[in-house]
Amino acid sequence: MKNFITNFILLACISCGLLISPEANAQLTDGVFRAAGTPANPKVDATWNHYYNYKGISELTKELANTHPDLIKRTSIGKSYEGRDIWLLTVTNFNEGDADRKPAMYIDGNIHSNEIQGTEMSLYTAWYLAEMFGSNDFINQLLTEKTFYIVPTINPDARENFFNEPNTASSPRSGMKPIDNDGDFMVNEDKYDDLNGDGSINMMRRKNPRGQFVENDTYPELMERVGPDEFGEYELLGYEGLDNDGDGRINEDGEGYYDPNRDWGWKWQPNYIQGGAHKYPFSLPENRAVMEFVMEHPNIGAAQSYHNSGGMILRGPGAEEDLRTYNRQDVRVYDALGEMGERVIPGYRYLVVYKDLYSVFGGELDWFYGSRGIFTFTNELWTSFEMFNSNDRSREDSYEFNKYLLFNDALVEWEPYNHPQYGEIEIGGTEKNFGRAHPGFLLEHAAHRNMAFTIYHAYSTPNLVIDEISEKDLGGGLKEVTAVVTNTRMIPTHASQDLKYNIMPPDYISIEGADVEAGMIVTNRDMGHTVEQKNNPQKIAVDNIPGMGSVTVRWIISEGRNYTVTVDSKKGGLVHKRK
Amino acid sequence: MKKVLPPCCVMLMALGLFISSSALAQSSYSNFDQLTDRLEKLESDYRNLAELTSLDKTLDGREIWVLTIGKGDVEDHPAIAVVGGAKGSHIYGSELAITFAEKLLGNSDSQEIQDLLASTTFYVFPRINPDATEEYFASLKYERDANSHPTNDDRDDVSSEDHFDDLNNDRLITLFRVEDETGKWMIHPDEERLLKKADISKGEKGTHHVYTEGQDNDGDGAFNEDPKGGVNINKNFTYDYPYFEPGAGENMASQIETRAVLDFLYEEVSNVFSVVSFGPSNNLSSAIRFNRAGVSKRVITGWYKEDVSVNELVSEKYNEITKLKDAPGNSGQKGDFFQWAYFHYGRYSFVTPGWAIPEVKDEDDKPRKFNNDEAHFLAWADQTDLDVFVEWEEVEHPDFPGKKVEVGGIKPYVLYTPPYRFVDSLAQSHTDFIVELAGMKPDVQLVNLTIEDAGENLSRITVDVYNNGVLPTASRLGERNSWVKKVNINLTLSDGLHLLSGDIHDIVRSIEGDGSVKKSWLVRGKGSFTITAGSPNSGFSTVEQTIR
Repeated sequence: MKNFITNFILLACISCGLLISPEANAQLTDGVFRAAGTPANPKVDATWNHYYNYKGISELTKELANTHPDLIKRTSIGKSYEGRDIWLLTVTNFNEGDADRKPAMYIDGNIHSNEIQGTEMSLYTAWYLAEMFGSNDFINQLLTEKTFYIVPTINPDARENFFNEPNTASSPRSGMKPIDNDGDFMVNEDKYDDLNGDGSINMMRRKNPRGQFVENDTYPELMERVGPDEFGEYELLGYEGLDNDGDGRINEDGEGYYDPNRDWGWKWQPNYIQGGAHKYPFSLPENRAVMEFVMEHPNIGAAQSYHNSGGMILRGPGAEEDLRTYNRQDVRVYDALGEMGERVIPGYRYLVVYKDLYSVFGGELDWFYGSRGIFTFTNELWTSFEMFNSNDRSREDSYEFNKYLLFNDALVEWEPYNHPQYGEIEIGGTEKNFGRAHPGFLLEHAAHRNMAFTIYHAYSTPNLVIDEISEKDLGGGLKEVTAVVTNTRMIPTHASQDLKYNIMPPDYISIEGADVEAGMIVTNRDMGHTVEQKNNPQKIAVDNIPGMGSVTVRWIISEGRNYTVTVDSKKGGLVHKRK
Repeated sequence: MKKVLPPCCVMLMALGLFISSSALAQSSYSNFDQLTDRLEKLESDYRNLAELTSLDKTLDGREIWVLTIGKGDVEDHPAIAVVGGAKGSHIYGSELAITFAEKLLGNSDSQEIQDLLASTTFYVFPRINPDATEEYFASLKYERDANSHPTNDDRDDVSSEDHFDDLNNDRLITLFRVEDETGKWMIHPDEERLLKKADISKGEKGTHHVYTEGQDNDGDGAFNEDPKGGVNINKNFTYDYPYFEPGAGENMASQIETRAVLDFLYEEVSNVFSVVSFGPSNNLSSAIRFNRAGVSKRVITGWYKEDVSVNELVSEKYNEITKLKDAPGNSGQKGDFFQWAYFHYGRYSFVTPGWAIPEVKDEDDKPRKFNNDEAHFLAWADQTDLDVFVEWEEVEHPDFPGKKVEVGGIKPYVLYTPPYRFVDSLAQSHTDFIVELAGMKPDVQLVNLTIEDAGENLSRITVDVYNNGVLPTASRLGERNSWVKKVNINLTLSDGLHLLSGDIHDIVRSIEGDGSVKKSWLVRGKGSFTITAGSPNSGFSTVEQTIR
């Protein structure tokens, strides 16, 4: 593991330092001096200290594709519930190889609509890869070997809702399909109400000498519970809202609700077992579009889904009932990737969903791995660590951070309001863009680090090399041809889940241009152990080419000199070598 | 094949000659076009009672039909969904469903059925896997359960490359057996036409290999391992989905047919209280057994005790009416429609194959006992003079040169498809059963409304929300499931009345059969009020009164 990391970093360093292309040598361009590791003079002048709405995403992705036609193609994988295109950026060196046959990394963001910054992580990744290509040998090699499929938002409707409509930092989370949440045969009849008109949903409090809360001495927006033998000055009344439908309850049936991350087909369970599940797996059009895309792209061997928050690098299983799905060989690969993630994203912890977070059925990462055998992580972006680069945390941290780093930009000061149900109250707290989303000045920082993790992940997908083709004359006009194929990266062509259920076809190693009399897999070359393949011997099926491992196959041929050996692996790509 | 063609012709003639006669009886199973004609005829003959809707089209272009039967606000009346053909080869189940609709509507001028249809809705899905069922009418017959979605059942890099082959040119796919001492099968000691697995622990040795009729078309050493199509819709539902099994599809609910049914039942209507399906499983001849462990875990695998009680009651009625109590019980198959309807849809779900192999008597007129269904079936077929068996016949098989290979076996379909002349009476008894079940529906009524003087300008309103039905307003599982609507109770007051105590709006998870919930409100002033209670799946009841 250590060696491998060193090699990876070394390669990256060599690319930047020694093998720099002439174009990038001119470090002083148009009034700026090049900072290491950042595109010196990007053709697309994107900035990363704000959030893109749907118009912004559409324009930026279009501009990226137009500006870098040999590196980025933009397509729509389908329409959202409200009819928005779900944009996909395919990022690779289109001048070499077939994009859909290269081992690929899939990335998406924003499945939970309020968890907005996954979109910026995704967009930054596409932008960075394209802008660095040509000036960095590592990125050149990466985009020549690999394909990135990047879907910046897979919940565009509710992302718009988060921005444009009054929300908390945690709403809507759902998509926009209306649901009867309280069982009264009406949908979305009692949403939040933006009573103070600031675009965010804040807290409501009421002065009450018998209340349980007081203001924090330093940060009055922070309400603190008094001791068990004390009275405070206020009572808390929940999120800003009215009883819109006159049923005696407030905010009980807002946007949604279903959880798009409980809608995936591996070990899916209905809503009475798994809250947030909808009708059946992929009953939401956005997820269905992703599923269909992934089904049609068996070259995807790695995937990343961005969420917030908490600073976590999560892998499955999501539910304890699914523990046995993840076996030791695959966990070893996950661990190696996850530990690198902890290294490159300080403050983030590599965790397992069911035991370190909560048990959940029907999550996206479980479907990617359980149903498709794809090594998948979910990163929970933003952690309080990022405020003062410290794990020493207190409730006051975010208020202190807001005051001294954001100059109270996220503060909503308490203001009086005459509420039809509660009477004289006060409304205040923090803005919806604070608490879960990154503040602007840390957004590019997070994007780069998380991208670096996904690049390492993508780099680790299979890379197949035909190490050897050798011949031995058997006499009587027969020759023995032995070929050795090595996977020089960590991820196998078939995850153990894939091997267990034959999700993908086997890898085929075939010989063309020779008359094949027999074919076999060599299980122990030194001792001469082989397993013959009786049918179609010219096309040997091997179950797997393990990470950092080799397979050896052999043919007995009667005719042929200038033959070609081809490795055809769904997740490992297509490789030819001529004898 | 020889057997089937003439009845088809007879039926076509019948349609041609006697189309105007409403008394026209079917004389054979219906292919898709004939099924569609029958459905369209019902819609046009009973305009006020029946509406035909196409939910979607299959890959081969056939509609997934649903016929809605009822009168008035059909979506607010408790409903039964009647479903046939999830298992595509079970054409008999499909026939029971369409015949149920015909018999119910055919009887709709009776007072009993008029009253029933004014308060109950039926959604009849006669054939939800029509592409598979159509194979029954193909010139080369095999029992097909899969639709036409391309699949790769052996998970290599080619699809549908090894289909069945008709080795003896009889247009029927049966079996072939190869005499070989390494085989695991032997001639059945009780019935020499059948084979059984040899049991070495009883000293038995195998004498034959047995395969489905075919060749190794792709030379991979396996026979018919990747036939044409498809996904078996009865394996594609979301409960206990058989991941990666042949016929299950790549994902649950991945098929047009599955989603058409799910979307309709989840989104288009919410009034279904019970689902009756015809298929291979059976919880009507004998009820599901209660298993405490099955309901004591997060992902439950058994029926709740209260729901088992309902199953027992309904099963008793079924056996009284149909006399099919000896049909084998079977609590479901992985990914099937029947289990989905209980475990994920939360409705009382009932399933029956709708037929059992009739009793065979011995010389002393006593019922013969069989420990093998196929032997029982053959004995009954012999006695009934039915041609159901292809006698073993030696053929040359290219994959077994020099070996004795014979083709033969029970003909496709006959085991689960009674001869058509039996269908009418079976369909009648199943219609009677469904009507009986409809009579047990939950039925919310507001009763015992009282207004009492509660002081100066104060009144107390009380009412009982009573379930006049036999079944609870929601199954025990449905109480937990947000797709099952709960009884809502709403009070509306006119301007002069003010609520002082009581819920303006309340939701009750479930009211048992013959059970009630008492509601009470304290109001001030004079004026009128309206109380509404119910849910689409248990009916609605409204009372209005004025306090003067």
